[in-house]
Amino acid sequence: MHDESIRVLALLTTAFFAGITGFIIYFVVLYRNRQLKNKQEQEQLQAEFRQELLKAQIEMQEQTLNYISGEIHDNITQVLSFVKLNLKVADYGNEVVKKKIEESRELISQAINDLRNLSKSLSFEHITKLGLVKTLEIEVERINNSGLIQTNLLIQGEYYTLGEQRDLVLFRIFQEVLNNTLKHSGAKHLKINLQYHPELFNLTVQDDGLGFSADSAAKYSGLGLNNIRTRAALIGAAAVIESSPGKGCCVIITLNPFKRLYDDRNHSDSFG
Amino acid sequence: MSIVPISYCILLIIVSGTGIVRYRKLTMPFRVLTWSVPTILVYNILSPIFSARYKTNAPILQLECITDFTFYLTAYYFLFKNKLIKKTIVTSLFIAFVFFCINAVFFQPFLTKFPTYVYFPTQVLFAIFSLLLFKEMLMYPLKINIIKQSTFWYNTAMLFYATTMFFYFGLSNYFGDHNFHDLIIYYFWYFILFVFHILIGVSLLTDDKNIADKNAR
Repeated sequence: MHDESIRVLALLTTAFFAGITGFIIYFVVLYRNRQLKNKQEQEQLQAEFRQELLKAQIEMQEQTLNYISGEIHDNITQVLSFVKLNLKVADYGNEVVKKKIEESRELISQAINDLRNLSKSLSFEHITKLGLVKTLEIEVERINNSGLIQTNLLIQGEYYTLGEQRDLVLFRIFQEVLNNTLKHSGAKHLKINLQYHPELFNLTVQDDGLGFSADSAAKYSGLGLNNIRTRAALIGAAAVIESSPGKGCCVIITLNPFKRLYDDRNHSDSFG
Repeated sequence: MSIVPISYCILLIIVSGTGIVRYRKLTMPFRVLTWSVPTILVYNILSPIFSARYKTNAPILQLECITDFTFYLTAYYFLFKNKLIKKTIVTSLFIAFVFFCINAVFFQPFLTKFPTYVYFPTQVLFAIFSLLLFKEMLMYPLKINIIKQSTFWYNTAMLFYATTMFFYFGLSNYFGDHNFHDLIIYYFWYFILFVFHILIGVSLLTDDKNIADKNAR
């Protein structure tokens, strides 16, 4: 009886302490799960905030560019047109002076034309109206005419629309890459490749310039490169920048055309 | 005095030493807790002296009961965020003190009896508040590992202490009724105290004001 009682008591004691230990372990597991859930929620909120911030920044940039485009088109080209007209009606008599005036009028015409093209490349309404391919074709023609760099555009696969927002962002990425190429690379040739695969879209921009190492990109803070990556991320694309000294630079933007652009289902471009 | 109570006193010295050495780094609830440990040590030293001199240590146990309750509930007051629970703690302290005085005068005299009528409700309150604090910890999880959180260790200590005390008294009565040797109960009692104060020591070791401030922001 005595032994039996001791056994029962020992069992009760063990069960009691097992209960407390079990409760503590259960609490620790529950707490850990809650911490992970909180962390995920916080990361999601931060990602959403970053996305919203990016959107706002890009919208502001586009509005600024649109305003500049409007000013160029409405004011500067108008003024130059008046100058051209005034030069036409002026009667100088002297043949040499007349020839010089004609040359000046041609230069002004060229300036008006260039300004109009620049105005169009800045205006997002113009870009979204024409689409990515047409806009790139016009831009390539403008660059080739400038004589700064020889540019080729290659389109592969069956064309499909990516949506206005994606077209605009991809064009802005191209402009950023072009800007870097002209400023830093010393390249003679620039190749642009648009690949339209059924489940993947690729934009590749490659030059034959000086190239750069990762260290030198970081030293010059790589602002343009960061801008490319952040803009690509905004439309759900991945940006890969490959370069090494003496081997030029290649920027590849990869995009799943069926991935939702924004989480906001009400957004007009929510399905790209 | 046998080796077990001496070991217990040494443990209390170590734990209070830990609290005092780290005092500047501790948050308010753990500063309060730091002072509870030397108080218990003093009571433990006075208890056998009183027993030897006055044949009773009831006054020491009476004082120990109410001061422990005050210290631990004050620590809980600073740990809880919920204002209603804080008010409940203050009310409980007031009611417990009043009841203690009434009990000491009318029911379980201060000089002769152990205050079980005060002790049991206080243990119930400890268990309830520890469960409520566990719930609050789940509602507001901090980023740091739970093993490094002093609140977890303190709360575990209180839950362990409160629940095992009831188990201890149950066992104690059973052993008394069946005339079993009370050595098991004696060691079990000290086992509870050892584990409780080790957990309190860990909470004093892990508490850090800088980490608490960083997580509060």
